[in-house]
Amino acid sequence: MNWSWIDSALPAWQWVLLGLVPPIIFLLYFLKLRRTPVEVPSTYLWTKTLEDLHVNSLWQRLRNNLLMYLQLLLALLLLLSCLRPGCKGDALMGERFIFLIDQSASMSAVDTPESISRLEVAKNEASKLIDQMKSGDSGMVITFSDSSRTVQSYTTNHTALKDKVRSIEQTERGSDMMEALTAASGLANPGRTSDRESNRDVQVAEGKPARMFIFTDGAIREIPDFFLGNLTPEYRPVGAVEPPNNVGIVAMSISDPLENESQLQCYARLFNSDDEDHEVTVTLKVDGTVMDSQNETVPRNNAMGLVFDLNELLQKLDEPKRVELEIETPDVYAQDNKAWAVVNPPREANVLILSDNNEYLDFVTETKRISKLANIFNELPEYINDERYEEQTTLGFFDLVIFDRCRPEKMPLCNTVFWGSIPPSEEWKVGEMTEPTALVDTNSSHPLMTAVQMGNVNVLKSSVVEGPRGSVSLLDGASGSIMRVGGRGGFQDLVVGFPMLQINEELDINVNTDWMTKLSFPLFIQNVVVELGNGKNFAAAIGGSPGEILNFRTSLPFDSVDVTSPEGRKTRLAPRPDNTFALTGTNRSGIYSVQSPDQENPDLLLPINLFDRNESNLTVREKLMLGYEEVTGEVKREETRKQYWMWFLVAALVVLIVEWVIYNRRVLI
Amino acid sequence: MVQTATLVDNEPLLSPALLSQLERMELISRKIFRGRMKGERRSKRKGQSVEFADFRNYVAGDDLRFIDWNLYARLDKLLLKLFLEEEDLHFYSLIDVSDSMQFGSPTKLQYAKQLAAALGYIGLCRSDRVKIEALDGATTSNAPVFRGKRSMPRMCEYVQNIPASANVTLTEAVKSFCLRNRGKGILVLISDLMDKSGYEQALKFLVAQNMDVYVIHVLSQEEIDPEILGDLKLVDCEDGDIAEISVSQRLIDKYRATVATFIEQSRDFCSKRGIVYTMTSTERSVDRLVSRYLRHQGLVR
Repeated sequence: MNWSWIDSALPAWQWVLLGLVPPIIFLLYFLKLRRTPVEVPSTYLWTKTLEDLHVNSLWQRLRNNLLMYLQLLLALLLLLSCLRPGCKGDALMGERFIFLIDQSASMSAVDTPESISRLEVAKNEASKLIDQMKSGDSGMVITFSDSSRTVQSYTTNHTALKDKVRSIEQTERGSDMMEALTAASGLANPGRTSDRESNRDVQVAEGKPARMFIFTDGAIREIPDFFLGNLTPEYRPVGAVEPPNNVGIVAMSISDPLENESQLQCYARLFNSDDEDHEVTVTLKVDGTVMDSQNETVPRNNAMGLVFDLNELLQKLDEPKRVELEIETPDVYAQDNKAWAVVNPPREANVLILSDNNEYLDFVTETKRISKLANIFNELPEYINDERYEEQTTLGFFDLVIFDRCRPEKMPLCNTVFWGSIPPSEEWKVGEMTEPTALVDTNSSHPLMTAVQMGNVNVLKSSVVEGPRGSVSLLDGASGSIMRVGGRGGFQDLVVGFPMLQINEELDINVNTDWMTKLSFPLFIQNVVVELGNGKNFAAAIGGSPGEILNFRTSLPFDSVDVTSPEGRKTRLAPRPDNTFALTGTNRSGIYSVQSPDQENPDLLLPINLFDRNESNLTVREKLMLGYEEVTGEVKREETRKQYWMWFLVAALVVLIVEWVIYNRRVLI
Repeated sequence: MVQTATLVDNEPLLSPALLSQLERMELISRKIFRGRMKGERRSKRKGQSVEFADFRNYVAGDDLRFIDWNLYARLDKLLLKLFLEEEDLHFYSLIDVSDSMQFGSPTKLQYAKQLAAALGYIGLCRSDRVKIEALDGATTSNAPVFRGKRSMPRMCEYVQNIPASANVTLTEAVKSFCLRNRGKGILVLISDLMDKSGYEQALKFLVAQNMDVYVIHVLSQEEIDPEILGDLKLVDCEDGDIAEISVSQRLIDKYRATVATFIEQSRDFCSKRGIVYTMTSTERSVDRLVSRYLRHQGLVR
């Protein structure tokens, strides 16, 4: 047993101040008191009495001043309690401590022996460790979920450390420890990671070894490349050692009826991290009303799929619907028991095609499938100068404008396709036409090129297209990219470096490529309409996980929109110059509804879900791999430091009461 | 806590019950003093009364009325029959009216007035010459002389109206009284004797008057056994003198001892000089004091 009597909570100068208290009490007793004046018949007898008492008055007072002794004792007890006497099992060795505390979603699981959440346990354990730190030892608190935050940088103020630990809040995010480790390592191993851009490895400061306590359940992503250096890690796993009872939803999506023969279905995936099979009841609610319920047995350590039919919804789908899936069977981790999705009413994209005598384009956009996806407006290139064009493109009426061998004076506020023409932007550069063209490569991973086979397509003349930074080449010719797609604010521009047709001075129409006769052409146009025309009807495409920043566009360009979070908090957002909005603060999972102040119904619903199998797997990992180093967890509860100072305070209180009684009775003085 | 009580008390100084008790009493003088008028007391002097005293030989000029003719017939000598003279007694009450007398409940002053009135009434009943005077240091006395039972209401009114607050030392006031009253008789001094310059000189003056002096030392209960607490600044009501005290049991004990010593010293001083000393507290009722203590002391019978 270690006794650590001197565990001062105060710096030296405060001790000096406190040390002055007893002499001051002593002195005050010999200074004049503020006395209550009382009129008496005569002081004759009193003076006589006092004359006797004044002999040796100092020593007389000392001998009889019980009140002063009591006050000195009180001050002494208070001083002693400030020394924080106590004893504990182990004293923490070392000078610097880093506390890494996991605040990710899985830490909200209530499976600890204390029946409090894992995060609370972690916080308690960290507080106990801080109590064991010696005065002068500095500590630092870093929390992490999918991002990390230094809650408290190095300080010797243990009270502040504990306060900060106490203030750590649960998040609903995933976990990634890399950032937190980098932050911790940056202080322990300075100079090594200070400047990634520069090759020079400048020693900024001397690295100071630190002990790093990691409080987590281990449900974190792999940390493949990390060097601990001066850090001595200690992994304190939090949570039940046996796999806890938890079945969670790890995926959920709504099918597109267009691709699935007019069937609207909801897919979900359940995951059971326990060593036993679990039977759960899963309920599907639409706008709060129960639509369907299923009882399923999820096999142990495995996942299973679920399908719910939502065809009924298609009949009356006039506004966005909130779909909520819930596992009704309770378990220790509540967050993954609910998932949300949104079914949007079908909205046809408005596509403007500015083309002259291009029958192929006319023909291909008349197909049944494309007309289901979008309203196609065919106009001649002269329409660019029309007032209506100006109005429609400024107000965002069109989702997509296809310029076939023509160009506007400025870019419209929507997605564009420039086919055989150059966008009016300095960022895009289209070279001279050369022939013949050999098609070298197709970027088939891009959604625009999905299922588009260009092997049998011939192109005569083409020019090399250079786009803005971040643009992607879709089709490469021998001398470079001949089809590129690039971003412009919230919009996308597709530039095709070869025209379909060429009209010479005699107004003869020459065909530049035979792509239009191939099967891949209508597929490509469909991709263009779907991807660039926002033609995905039922898309719950926009959505994300907690903490993510969501970029979205409203149906009409609004001056401002109100976003209502799942807990009912309203935030007003202003649009960015390109009429898109960025939603931050998506800390809670659920459905965020976007509504303009003028609208009666929500314009847009944004589902936020943490579909993280890592988090749903509540099994506490025994080991952590930090880079190449393996850290074995040490499940132990810290012994609380046995504090005795409270008893000194209680004694001080008793002395105070006794003093009060004596003062009032004035018998024993 | 010591408080100043109102001086004017609506209660009559002497209650009917007390009056009837007092009527049966009599002031006693240990010495026989010559009065000025005929009273109800036998005097040392021979004079005209019914009580026989002595015979003496007739000398020319004697009043023939007092010759005992029966003896002349038997002895053939002219002898004069002498009778004891009955005279009045001079009774003085001196009331200390200093500020310190205004304390206590009832105030010491009120108590002193009541006592003076009671003793005065006894005197009135016996046709004594009663004079009650306030020790206010006045050089000319305006105190009336009362005689006869009928003067009782006048006396009571006068006593009641004696004003308080005269900041004169006891010695000065007594000296002034002695200069004005050279007569002999019974003198009762009612005072708390709390005079910083000392009461001894004043008493010496009285002793020198050759009077039958009684001192009734009146103390209030607050003075005998003070019930005060805390850190106090005691202010003397007469001279504003300040004594700072922190009340403790030790101090209280010490004070009680001082009071006891003070009383003892007064008693010693008085008894050495033939003064009858009686200490009383305002708690003790006047009739009890008169009927028991003063009777025991020999002031009344």
